[in-house]
Amino acid sequence: MTDHEVLATAQRIGSRALAWLDASHETGFGALDDNVTIDIADPNNAYKPIGECALAASLVLREGVTGPADADRARRMLAFGWAQLRDGNLLYERQLRHMLMTDPLEVYAHFVRAGYRHPALEELVRSLGELRSVHAAETAPNRRLAIANARRVAGLDHRGPDWAHLTAATWLGATPEPWALDWFTGYDITHTVFHLTDWGARPEDLPEPLRAYVRDWLPVWLDIWLEVGQWDLAAELLVVDSCIGEPVTGREGWEALAAVQREDGLIPRDNAQPVAEEPEQAFKDHEHTAVVAVVASTVTLSRALGGATAAVG
Amino acid sequence: MPTAEPSLRDEYAAAVERVAGRTLDALRGAGGAVALAPVLGPEPGPELASAPGPEPASGPGGAASGAVEPPRSLLAALRVVGPDLFAPQLLGGAAPDEPTALLLAQAHRVFPPMAATRAGQGTGAPDGNAVVAAWRDWAAGVLLVRALGAGPGSADPPVGVDPPVDGSAGSAERSVTEPAPAPATVPGHAAWPDPAAWQAWSIRMAQLSALALPGLDGAVHRTARAHPLALARGAVRSMLRRDHRAAARLARWLAWSRAQGIALPLDVEPIIARIRVVSDGSARTALELAIAEALLDTAGERA
Repeated sequence: MTDHEVLATAQRIGSRALAWLDASHETGFGALDDNVTIDIADPNNAYKPIGECALAASLVLREGVTGPADADRARRMLAFGWAQLRDGNLLYERQLRHMLMTDPLEVYAHFVRAGYRHPALEELVRSLGELRSVHAAETAPNRRLAIANARRVAGLDHRGPDWAHLTAATWLGATPEPWALDWFTGYDITHTVFHLTDWGARPEDLPEPLRAYVRDWLPVWLDIWLEVGQWDLAAELLVVDSCIGEPVTGREGWEALAAVQREDGLIPRDNAQPVAEEPEQAFKDHEHTAVVAVVASTVTLSRALGGATAAVG
Repeated sequence: MPTAEPSLRDEYAAAVERVAGRTLDALRGAGGAVALAPVLGPEPGPELASAPGPEPASGPGGAASGAVEPPRSLLAALRVVGPDLFAPQLLGGAAPDEPTALLLAQAHRVFPPMAATRAGQGTGAPDGNAVVAAWRDWAAGVLLVRALGAGPGSADPPVGVDPPVDGSAGSAERSVTEPAPAPATVPGHAAWPDPAAWQAWSIRMAQLSALALPGLDGAVHRTARAHPLALARGAVRSMLRRDHRAAARLARWLAWSRAQGIALPLDVEPIIARIRVVSDGSARTALELAIAEALLDTAGERA
C-alpha cells in the first residue's frame, strides 16, 4: 500500500503541473506557427510538446482519478492540441509525405486514447504497415516499442508485434550491469517500461525478470538522479515505479519534486541552470517535466486506488 | 587527528599506503606472512616502487631503526589497516601470524581504542563512527587473541565503546561464535542505520569492510548475510557516484557473501574489473579488490 502522504504529495504535484500546462496554453504558449507545414522545421519547438501534453491529458482522462477541475483542464489541453494539428490533418499530411516517419502515429495515439479519430490517417497507417520497408526501418529498440504501443492504442496492430523479441532488443531487456549506464540509458529504461505497460495500464506486460531487475535497481537510479538534481529523469523514474506494480522507491522522490516545484506548478527539468525569466521560454524548457509529473502523479494515484478497490472488493 | 600538521598527515597517509602495499604483496605472494619488518627499515624497500599510488614520504618518523621502536606513523598505519594485516594468512587458510600480531598489539597500546573512538567526541553516546571503530577493533581483537593467545601478557584486545566488545580477551575470541549484538539491534542506537535505509547502511558496511574476512563472524556478518540486495544497491550507488573506494569495499562484502553461499543479485567480477581501471590507484583500494578476488576464489572452490 502506498504511503498516504506520498499520495497526497503526488496528487498536489500533478494537479499543479497540469494547471501550469493548461494556463500556459491559455496564455498562447505551445501553439504551432500559423504557417507551419508538414516539414516542421523544429519538431521540438511546439509539435512534440503538443503530443506530450496530449499524452498527459489522455492519461488523466483514462485513469479518472482527478477531480472535475483537472478533468476539464485535461479536456481543454486535448482540444487545444487537436486544433493545433488542424483536427489531425497535419498528422495525415505529414505521414502521407514522409512514409517512414513514426511521429504522426505516435502523436495520434494519445488523441485516440481520449476519443479523437482521423479515419484517413488510420487507413494510411494501416496501408503503410503492409510495407516491409516500414518494419525494416532502422530504429532504436525502445523506439520500436513506442511505435508498437502506438499501433496497439490506435487499434492498428493487426500484424501482432512480437513483444518478446522487441523487448529483448532493448537495454533493459538485457538486464545489464546496473552501474554501467548513463543519462541517455536512463531514458531508454523508462521508455521501455512506459511502452510495454502502455503507461501503467498493463503492469503485467513487463516480463517478470525485467520487473525483478527494475525493482532491485530503480531505488538506486532514483537516488542518483535526485542527488544530481535531474528532476525530469527522476520524475520519469517515478512513472516507472507506478508502472511495475507495488512501488519500491518510497517518498524521497516525491518530496524532492515537491520541494523544487514552483507555486505556479512549474518543475525545473534540472538544477543545472536557472529557470528562464521569460515565461514562454520557461514553458518550452520545462514543459516536458510538467508532463512527466502529471503522468507520474496520475498513474501512481490510479494504481494505489485500484489496489485499494481490489482489496475491499 | 584534526590538529595534525599537513606534513604529518602526509606521512601517516604514506605509512598506510606502505602497510597496505606490503599486505597486498603478501596476499599476491600466495598467502605468506605479511613480513612487515622491512617496513620498519630506514628506506622503503625497492619493491614498493612497483606499488601504485604516491611515493611514500620519508619523514623523520619513518626513519626509526629496528623493530623495537617503530615510528608512530607506522603504528597508526597498522591501526588503520587493522584486521586486513592478517588477510593473506586468513585467505590462505592459515592462522594469524605472531610477528604481525605483536606489531598490531603494540599499535593498539600506542593508539588505544578509546582514544581512537572518542577522539573529537563529547560525552554523549557513541556515534556511528565510534561504532565502526569499535567493530574494527573487535575484529582485530579476535585475530590478536587467536595469534597470541588470551593469557596475561598477551595483546590487549581492544575495549569497544558500546555494543560489540565486552572487554576481556577471552570474550573477544568467544564472540567469534557468540557475537555481540548488532549495532542496529541496540535499542535507541539511532547512529546506526537500518538495512532498509540501504544508502546510509551500505556506507557503514563499506567502512566495516575489514570484517569481511574468513574466520570472523558476528552480528555485522549476520546482517550482511541477511541483506545482499542492500549491499548490492550500495555498491551500485557507489559506482554511479564514482566513490570507488566505497564500491570496492562493498564489492568485497558481496564477494564475502558469495563465499558464504549466498545468491547475489549482482555480478561482482565486472565491478572489480571496472574499479581497477578507474579508481585512485592507491594500495588501500587495491588491497580491498585483491581481498574481494581472493574471497571469490574461495567461493569458486566452495562451489
